[in-house]
Amino acid sequence: MSLARRLLVRQHFLSDCFVRAASNAARLKYDVVVVGGGHAGTEAAAAAARTGAETLLITQKIQTIGALSCNPSLGGVGKGQLVREVDALDGLMGRAGDRAGIHFSILNRSKGPAVWGPRAQIDRGCYREFIQSELLNMPRLTVIEGSVEDLLLSAADPEQPGKHKVTGVRMANGGGEILSGSIILTTGTFLSGSLFMGQTTSPGGRMGDPPSCAGLSHCLREVLGLKVGRLRTGTPPRLVKDTVDFSLTELHLPDSKPVPFSFVNKHTQCKPEEQLPCHLTYTTPGVDKVVRESLNVNSHIHQDTRGPRYCPSIESRVLRFPGRQHQVWLEPEGLTSDLVYPQGLSMTMPPELQLRLLREIPALRRVEIRMAGYGVQYDFVCPTQLFPWLQMKNVQGLFLAGQINGTTGYEEAAAQGLWAGVNAGRIALSLPPMSLSRTESYIGVLIDDLVGRGVTEPYRMFTSRAEFRTALRPDNADLRLTPRGFEEVGCVSWQRYQEAVRVSRGLGEALSALQSITLSSFQWREKLGHFSISETKSTLISGKEVLQYKDVSFDLLASAFPDILSPYLEFSERLKIEAVYQPHCEKQRQEMERMRKEESLALPQDIDYFSLPVSLSDEVREILDRARPSTLGAATRLPGITPAAIIHLLRFVTKVGVTTGEAAYMQVRGPKPDCWRGASVHERDREKATVVQS
Amino acid sequence: MFPVVFRKPFPFRRLCKSASSEDTIFALSSGQGRCGVAVVRVSGPASVDALRSMAGLTRRLPAPRTALLRRLLHPHSKELLDRGLVLWFPGPHSFTGEDSVEFHIHGGPAVINGILQALGSLPRLRPAEAGEFTRRAFHAGKLDLTEVEGMGDLIHAETEAQRRQALRQMAGDLGQLYNDWSLQLKQSLAHVEAFIDFSEGDLIEDGVLYEVDVAVSQLRVEVEKHLSDERKGERLRSGVQVVIAGSTNVGKSSLFNILCQRPAAIVSPVAGTTRDVVETPLDIGGFPVLLSDTAGLRDTCDCVEREGVHRARQTVEQADLTLVVIDTAQLPQDLLMVPGLLSRYLKMVLPNRKDEQCLLVLNKRDLLPKSHIAVIQRVLQQNPGLPPLSILSLSQSVLHTENYLLISLKTKLTTLLFLFKVRRPTGEWALKKSWM
Repeated sequence: MSLARRLLVRQHFLSDCFVRAASNAARLKYDVVVVGGGHAGTEAAAAAARTGAETLLITQKIQTIGALSCNPSLGGVGKGQLVREVDALDGLMGRAGDRAGIHFSILNRSKGPAVWGPRAQIDRGCYREFIQSELLNMPRLTVIEGSVEDLLLSAADPEQPGKHKVTGVRMANGGGEILSGSIILTTGTFLSGSLFMGQTTSPGGRMGDPPSCAGLSHCLREVLGLKVGRLRTGTPPRLVKDTVDFSLTELHLPDSKPVPFSFVNKHTQCKPEEQLPCHLTYTTPGVDKVVRESLNVNSHIHQDTRGPRYCPSIESRVLRFPGRQHQVWLEPEGLTSDLVYPQGLSMTMPPELQLRLLREIPALRRVEIRMAGYGVQYDFVCPTQLFPWLQMKNVQGLFLAGQINGTTGYEEAAAQGLWAGVNAGRIALSLPPMSLSRTESYIGVLIDDLVGRGVTEPYRMFTSRAEFRTALRPDNADLRLTPRGFEEVGCVSWQRYQEAVRVSRGLGEALSALQSITLSSFQWREKLGHFSISETKSTLISGKEVLQYKDVSFDLLASAFPDILSPYLEFSERLKIEAVYQPHCEKQRQEMERMRKEESLALPQDIDYFSLPVSLSDEVREILDRARPSTLGAATRLPGITPAAIIHLLRFVTKVGVTTGEAAYMQVRGPKPDCWRGASVHERDREKATVVQS
Repeated sequence: MFPVVFRKPFPFRRLCKSASSEDTIFALSSGQGRCGVAVVRVSGPASVDALRSMAGLTRRLPAPRTALLRRLLHPHSKELLDRGLVLWFPGPHSFTGEDSVEFHIHGGPAVINGILQALGSLPRLRPAEAGEFTRRAFHAGKLDLTEVEGMGDLIHAETEAQRRQALRQMAGDLGQLYNDWSLQLKQSLAHVEAFIDFSEGDLIEDGVLYEVDVAVSQLRVEVEKHLSDERKGERLRSGVQVVIAGSTNVGKSSLFNILCQRPAAIVSPVAGTTRDVVETPLDIGGFPVLLSDTAGLRDTCDCVEREGVHRARQTVEQADLTLVVIDTAQLPQDLLMVPGLLSRYLKMVLPNRKDEQCLLVLNKRDLLPKSHIAVIQRVLQQNPGLPPLSILSLSQSVLHTENYLLISLKTKLTTLLFLFKVRRPTGEWALKKSWM
C-alpha cells in the first residue's frame, strides 16, 4: 500500500517540480503548519512535505531560514550519528553539511568506529543558501514570513486521547487565520526568550531578530496548561579575522580525505585542498581575573537557570575550574568570511569587558569584536508531556520539536524536527503515528530520553546514551533507517531507497563471500604474510574472522582473493567495520529483541491509574499517573516501579494495547541494569564533567 | 599454493556460542523461609545442560514431566549437595514455554543456597529477576490473567522481604562497603563514558582508560574474594548461621528468646521442650544473622525427640557459629576440673569442633556463689585452648552492650564476615563504637 502511495507521490513530484512556492501565496488551509525556520522547523517542514502533506512553514524572516545561530560547525561525537540518521531518512542536514563544509574531520578516530564523530566546520552563508533553496523548491511546501500570535483550538475529538485540539494558527498584525489539524512548534529560544549582555536584558530569542509574540507563550502555559521550565544558553563574540595573530596558536588541519555526511554524496563540495584549518589557543590567568571582575556587572551568570553543561560559558568554566587553562578553538566562519568564531568563549559580560578578556589571550592581543557575545534565557515545554511521536499528549494535533523540548544543538533539533514532521504529515493523512526505537537509532534514544525522563538541563546527545551503540553506528545509519523510511514511514525518496538496497545487498554478498573462504591459520599466514594470528588455533578460520584482526584490511583480502572479493572493493571500509562489530552486535541482538517484545506492549493513554482495580500501592499509582508511560517497557524503566506492579499491568496490555494497533511501533526502550536508573544518570553526568577539564 | 576451501557458511552461532542465545534463568520458586521441600526452577535453552551436569545424567534425559530421584552434585567440585527429585519439561510443554527443569530439594537454607550457587556457576545461567518467570510464561501465552494477578502478589511479598533484608544489610560497615563498590563502579563508568563521548581534542586526562582498567580489575578481585572467601558472601546475603546447642534444659530457648527480643521459642522447665529447629533472622550489630534454637542433645526413646536431636546435630554441622550453652549445675564440685568438663562437653556437642566456630555460654550464674565465678575465670585463663566463655544469668539482660556474650558474639561475626578493606581503627573500643 505504501508503495502505491509512494508512486502517487512521485508523480505529484514530477508535475510539481517547477512550481516555486511564492512567499506570499498563503492558502487558508494546510495539512501541516510548521512555526519556526530553524533546524527543527526546516527538517519538520521538509519531512512533512515528503510524506505527502501540503505543508506551510511560517518564519519571521525567510532570510534567516537555515541560519547557524551559534557555532559554525555540524556533527561531532554522538551528534554526527544524528546527522547521519537524519540523512538516512532523507533529511536536509547531511547534504547541506556536505555542500557548506569547509573543514571535515572525523573525531574519535583513535577509538572504535561506533563512536567516531563525523564533524565539519560550516560556511554559514552557504549552508543557509542550500537549505533555503531546498525548501523554496520543494513540492507541497509553502514558506511565508510572519509571526504567529495564537493557536486556534476546538473541542477535543473524544475518540482520541487529549483534552484540547488545535485547528490552526492566528497570525500577528491582522495576518488572519490559517487552518490546519497538525501544527509543529519549533520556536527554539524564542518562547519567552530574553537576551542578556552585562546588566542589560531585552526580550528576544536571537540577537538581531524581533521577539516572538507573547500570545503563543501565554496560550501554551495558560490555555493549554502545559508545564514549562526555563533554561539558558549563550554564544561567544565574533572576532575580526585580520586582528587575530594566528602565529601564536596551534594549527589543526582537517582530514586530507573529507568524508561526506550524506549517504548519497561520494564527495564533499569543498575540495580537500581548499579546506580551511582551525586554530587552538588557551586562556591565561588574566582571563580568570577579568571574569571575576565582571561578576558584579554580569546578570546572566547570577541566574539559577540551568545552562548547557557540555558547552559552558567562560564564566562558568573559570568559576568551576579556577586556575586552569581552558581551550579556545578559533574556527573559520566561512570560505570568504572575515570572521572567526572563538569556541569555548561564550560570555555574557558587558562588551567592553569582553574585549578586555579576549585581549588577555596572546593570540588575541589586538583583536576586534564584530558582534559581542550574549546569553539567552528561554522557556521550554517539559517533554514528558509528549508522545514518542512528539505530539503533545494533552493537545490533539500539536507537535513540538527542537530547543522548545529542552535540547541543545542543531543536530538534536533537526532529528526531532524530522520525526515530528513525519508524524504530523502522517496524522494529517490519517495514517497512524510511528515511533523510533532505542534499539534502531540515536533519534529513538533522543526522543525516548526526552519523553521518558524529561530534562533538567539542556539535553545533548552522547554515544553513551545509546546502550546499543555498537549496532547504531554512523557508518550503517542507511541500513538501519532508509529501508524503513521508505517502506513504512514514507519519507524517503525512491532513488535513495534504491541505493540503500543496493548497498545492503552488496554488503550482504560480500560478507557471505568472506564467510565462505576458510583456511587454516597456517594457510592464512602464507596467503597474507605476517599478522598476529594465534599459532595454536587448529580450526579453519573464515575470511570474516580474519578481517576482524587489527592489521587485516578488506583490500588486503581482496588482493589475495581478487576473483571472489574485488567486486566489493567500494564497501571496503564498511566491511571492515561490519566484521569487527558483528560479534558484539550478535551478542546484543538477543537483548534488543527481548526488549522490543516487551516494549511492543502498549499501555492505554487514558488509563486511570488511581481507580485501576488491581493491587498497586498508592506510590506506584502516583508514579504511573505522573509519567503516563506509553508501553510496558517504558513503565519498567520508571524509578520506583516494582516488578509486581509490572506483572499487574500486563493484564491491561493484552486488553487494550493490541486493539489500538499502536503496539507495533510504540517500541521504546527496555530495562537497563539498575545502576542506570533514575538519578544515577545525572550523577554520572556530574562525574563526567569532572573528568573533562573544561 | 594452497587450495582454497569453499564450504557452506557455518552457522554464526559457533563463533559466539555463549552469547547468541537467550539467557537461561533460575530461581527458588517455592516461598522464602524454612520449608520441607523447596523447588528450584530453571528455564531457558541451557536448562538441559543444568540438568545433565547437576543430576549426573550424561547419557540420557529422564522422561519428560516424570520425577526422578537423583543425587545432585556440584558441577565443578562434584561435592554432594542433596538428594532430590528432578523433573524435565521440554518446551513448549512447560510453565514458561521454554525448556525447563525443576529440582525438588530439601528445604534447608544451606541446601537451597548450595543448589543456587551451583546453578550460578554454570555458563549461560543467571539468577532470574523478580517476576521474570511469570513474564516469560505470559509471553508464551501460558498464563491466564488471574494467575498473573496472584503471581504479582507473591512477587510483591518476596521482593518486600528481600528489600527489607537488603535494608538490614545496608546498615553498618557492610553498607559502607557496598556503597564504596557502587561508587567505584559509577566512577569507572563515568570515566569510560567520558572517554568515548569526548574526542581527542577535549582534554580528557591521559590514561583514563588505563586507570579504569586497573580499578575495575581490583574491584573484581575484591568482590570475588568477598564472595568466595569461606562463604562470606553467602553469609552476607542470607545471614550468618548461628546455632544455639547444648544438653536439655540448660536454657537454650531462653537465650534464643532474649536474643530475638520476643518469645519465639517455647520455654518450660520440662527437659526436651524444643524438638524441632526454630529459626529466625536477626540483625546483630548491623550483621545479618540466622539464629537457630535446637533440641537439647540427649539419648532418648521418644522417636519425635530423637528426630529433633538428629536435626539439631545436622544444624550444628552446617552452622557458621555455635553458641554452646552449659548449665552451672553441670559443673563439677572441684573447679579445677572445669576445663576438662568443658572440653568433654564441647566434644559431645561439636564432634568436629573447630575453636573459632563456637562460643561457650555458662548459664544460671545466679545458682553459683560469686567466689566460684572468679575461680572459674582464673582457671580458664590458664587453659587458653578453650573458646571464650560467657557466664551469665538469663534473668538479667543479655542485650546490654557491655555484656561479654554480646561483645564476643559481635567479634565473631566481624571475623566471619571479615571485611578486607578495614577503614576504621581497630581494637576493642573501635569495635564497640561501630556497633553502637
